[in-house]
Amino acid sequence: MWDQFIVTPLTNLLLWIYYVVGHDVHSFGLAIILFTILIRLVTYPLTVKQMKGAQAMQELQQNKHWLEMQKKYKGNKEKLAQEQMKLYKELGISPFSSCLPTLIQFPIIIGLYQSIIRALASTPLALLQLTRSIYPFLDASALIPLNSRFLWMDLGRPESIILFGFAFPTLAIIVAATTYMQSKLTMPASTQPGDQSAQMGKMMSIYMPLLLGYFALTFASGLSVYFITSNVVGILQYAALGKVNWSNLLPGPKKSK
Amino acid sequence: MKVKHLVLISLAALLAGLLSACTNGSVGSSWPGMTADEDAVYLSGGAYVYAIRLNDGTEMWHYPEKADNKRLFFAAPVLTPDGQLIVGSGGSNYTLYSLNPKNGSENWGFGEAKDRWVGSPLVGDDIIYAPNSDGELYALDFNGKRLWTFTAGGPLWAQPISDSQLIYVASLDHRLYAIDPQSPTDNEGRKEAAWAIELDGAIAGAPAASTDGLLYVGSVGASLTAIDMASHDIRWSAPTDKGVWSGPTLDGKTLFFGDLSGKFYSLNAEDGSRNWEPQQPDGSIVGSPSVMAGYVIFTTETGSVYALDRNGETAWTKMVGGKIYTAPLTAGDLILVAPMQAEFLLAALDKDGHQAWTFQPQK
Repeated sequence: MWDQFIVTPLTNLLLWIYYVVGHDVHSFGLAIILFTILIRLVTYPLTVKQMKGAQAMQELQQNKHWLEMQKKYKGNKEKLAQEQMKLYKELGISPFSSCLPTLIQFPIIIGLYQSIIRALASTPLALLQLTRSIYPFLDASALIPLNSRFLWMDLGRPESIILFGFAFPTLAIIVAATTYMQSKLTMPASTQPGDQSAQMGKMMSIYMPLLLGYFALTFASGLSVYFITSNVVGILQYAALGKVNWSNLLPGPKKSK
Repeated sequence: MKVKHLVLISLAALLAGLLSACTNGSVGSSWPGMTADEDAVYLSGGAYVYAIRLNDGTEMWHYPEKADNKRLFFAAPVLTPDGQLIVGSGGSNYTLYSLNPKNGSENWGFGEAKDRWVGSPLVGDDIIYAPNSDGELYALDFNGKRLWTFTAGGPLWAQPISDSQLIYVASLDHRLYAIDPQSPTDNEGRKEAAWAIELDGAIAGAPAASTDGLLYVGSVGASLTAIDMASHDIRWSAPTDKGVWSGPTLDGKTLFFGDLSGKFYSLNAEDGSRNWEPQQPDGSIVGSPSVMAGYVIFTTETGSVYALDRNGETAWTKMVGGKIYTAPLTAGDLILVAPMQAEFLLAALDKDGHQAWTFQPQK
């Protein structure tokens, strides 16, 4: 099921873009970049939903009823949770709407990674599997084997540049930096001390760069190209909506957007 | 807050685990390869190379002593005239090893390649021609010292062949290259191709050469092509239903080969005409066939071994089990078959298809 409905279609989409871009040295890297932009455009409604959800959660922190129930049920967590859920319902807010789009990316990441590895087929068994995965409308014999080179990278392997005898993980650092920038720039400024959604956002801005940086360090560099493109496109999407909070990158007081 | 931290860390670990699982499943594995001498069969299967006695299927030795995830073996080992067993690593250390076939001890390792060893080397009188996935054909002496290299346009997965003058090596870049080992090298020790020809798809299997000056090459582009070695032109090309993974087997004036659709062909080597209508066994045919005692023997992905007579009539079939991609190997009176995902790594059949023994390493 997973293979049939996720990995094979994603592999063919990647191969189709690769075919359209041409068989140039850098075309598989370009195919991943175009594929990522496409995924970001398709999931754009989810991004908007996430943004609205985050904003609604932030506004909720200033709601009179919300503040009252925090004081009233301070010692009774169960009751507080019940009351909070009631208020969410009344105001039509989903507490998960801000993190759901991030979670939806997980299966895409796994599917994309499997697609990249399948498309680059580095063993006979993998190439045999690839020939069977290609839809009839694509000319399999013309496509195989794919050129895995992109700039200085082999997209099927983890990346590093040897500098002064050390393997310098350039992409892992760029992935971590762009992930940090994206989470910081798109985080609404909090005016309330103890704001739970702001605390969650802070946690994510620490964990996600570390996690994705680790993935970039360990897994095929094609996945890093996806992460970097996705982060940059994400920042641009927020910027286009006027929701980028540049002050979050600077020390000092934060502006609310 | 601690719970949220825990949830995030658990999600991260789950995602890392899933990605790791993807890597192990598709990147680092492939089907086994084998070669044999009078006493033993040498099987490269996963983390080990095994030497197995032909008379009873018991293990003589395995290499390395302990499994190492950087060393994986699936290129068929080859024997040299001076008593070395050469086998390349399909794992991430990219080393070509020379082992002692008597006891499995390591003689030397060649570590200059930049990618996996998938194709078996060709052994000449005093030179090893080793094709690598990095697109280089490495010519080494019998001490593992690099003599020269040839650079193709894509990965080299097929064993090279020789007509005693030129070396022919096929590439996944759709080309067949002819290299003259006597030609001069440039300053970096590289040789140029004497000639090359582009075919209709990636070439993963070794070509077959006739004494009449023709080379026969199967390609993933769904054809078998005969190339004139003198004029470097295509003499004829026979279309197939799907891609031809391994090279054909030439027996006199007859070519035998299978394709990925599961059809088995017998062609006249001179003009490519069909000797009989293609047979359709029970699964894709990946490995090259073998000829033994008047029968042509081939395996299918669905785990069967077939023996056909020269008229294409089935003499016998044997369900070995698992998935078979490796070409069957004939050694003495035995037919050796190496399945994947079976209860054993190797099965030996007699000439009538009866099982003589199976080999499964002790845990």
